[in-house]
Amino acid sequence: MEEIIERKPFEVTVGPQHPALKEPGNFQFTVDGEIVTNAAVRLGYAHRGIEKAAEERNWIQNIYLVERICGICSHIHATAYCLAVEHLANIQAPPRAQAIRVLVSELERIHSHLLWIGVAAHEAGFDTLFMYSWRDRETIMDILEKLTGNRVNYSTNLLGGVKIDVDGEHKTGILKGLDILEERTKHYLNIVTTDAFFLQRTRGVGTMTQRQAEVMGAVGPTARASGVARDVRIESPYGAYDEFRPNLIIEQAGDLEARFIVRVKELFESYRLVREILDRLPEGELSVRMPRRIKPAEYAMRVEAPRGELFYFVKSNGTDKPERVKVRTPTICNMTTVVKLVVGHQLADVPLILAGIDPCFSCNDRMVIVRDNRKIETIESRR
Amino acid sequence: MDAENTFETVHLLLEDWAERFETPDPTRLEVYMKHVDDLVPAVVGLRVKKLGYLAAIVGLDPGADTEELEILYHFCTQDLMIILRFRVPKTDASVSSLCDIVPSAESFERELCEMYGITIVGLRNPGHLYLPDDWKEGVYPLRKGVDPRIAFQNN
Repeated sequence: MEEIIERKPFEVTVGPQHPALKEPGNFQFTVDGEIVTNAAVRLGYAHRGIEKAAEERNWIQNIYLVERICGICSHIHATAYCLAVEHLANIQAPPRAQAIRVLVSELERIHSHLLWIGVAAHEAGFDTLFMYSWRDRETIMDILEKLTGNRVNYSTNLLGGVKIDVDGEHKTGILKGLDILEERTKHYLNIVTTDAFFLQRTRGVGTMTQRQAEVMGAVGPTARASGVARDVRIESPYGAYDEFRPNLIIEQAGDLEARFIVRVKELFESYRLVREILDRLPEGELSVRMPRRIKPAEYAMRVEAPRGELFYFVKSNGTDKPERVKVRTPTICNMTTVVKLVVGHQLADVPLILAGIDPCFSCNDRMVIVRDNRKIETIESRR
Repeated sequence: MDAENTFETVHLLLEDWAERFETPDPTRLEVYMKHVDDLVPAVVGLRVKKLGYLAAIVGLDPGADTEELEILYHFCTQDLMIILRFRVPKTDASVSSLCDIVPSAESFERELCEMYGITIVGLRNPGHLYLPDDWKEGVYPLRKGVDPRIAFQNN
């Protein structure tokens, strides 16, 4: 007698201890055999209450707080915050400081994109590329360490300017490093566009049309790989970007290969910008005086982080502390695309599609709960 | 479209629903809306006229002693920003979801919902996005005067 077996949807839970990424996120995939039929995401595992904490700290302390939102793009968080606060205080950093901010932003973009190439290559099973790109990334990490004193949280920004200067020795070191990296990046562009095995994992995988990218609110390289011509550095130049203008890097295919191409080509653009800034670095002061208290006002600032548009809203109330600091990071915009794009793909493609947006869960989330001997505390209560 | 034309179009589009317009900066237009019920038609109008994309939704609590919350919808196009400002009573904070018109609004709305206790009418998944599952109901951490630590008491 023939047995009739009812076919029920099967759910695969991934995370919060993510097997691929080093950051926590929870995904529920409904699968039919190997094909994903539905997906949902749960965030918050690295939520640290930073927006609430910012209201309890003064303007200066908050530079260091927002810099710790993300360990990869720490500088751009502090830059967005400082630009917004300077606007509220009606002051402007000197041209040399603005140029140094942009210089460090581009160096940060280089290290972030090289890191991403490694992570994405690892998800694709191409560990040789992962090891090469991370080895080469050390070149830029050494440059950042020599320039700022730190590999991760550079603490370059002050309210009203920057605290580091660029001298001849820095310039020589940076230019030498860029020459090495530029040659390596040519090699990476060749690999991601010609390696037959790699292309099997990227070409036509996770394709997002321009219309889908716009509707789902994708930002940054993820959106530009789908033909969305949007880059805050070009649309709404901040800092010294009106002086040192990047070219828009855009691809139309919308698949994972296009996301690789956009980020690799953006590396060349960052090398060009860094050289240009070093060549024409304005002379002058590094900072201007900043008032301790700021009259009631509010301002929304947009900047282009390595992963896309980063949005800061800052409100002052006449005291030395902000009334409100709101942070909207690029990953939260791009996360919507992952949940939609994985549907219809094989489960094995999911890690690479997720890595394709260059997700940053620390940026997304902002509060950790520490459980200690059944006593539950926030990080705040331990200060 | 330049700033003057864009802002003029927004003026014409929203004048019936707006209490007043302010331009704090040549690239910013703030629209103080009369009623929160006008959110959806106003956003439909902005979408039809292609006046920017939704960059962020920001919640504001003007103070523990105030009776209203503010919700700011930031739409960006090129270097311009159009900000729609709404006020809702704290005791019955409610606003319509934009998800049917702007699907990317979902995560912003879920954050607004759990951090400020604003009910988003029509939100398909109003569950926690950032806060833990065992977070105490009725504790909205970004409201002024709220100590988030009370969310863990007696859990």
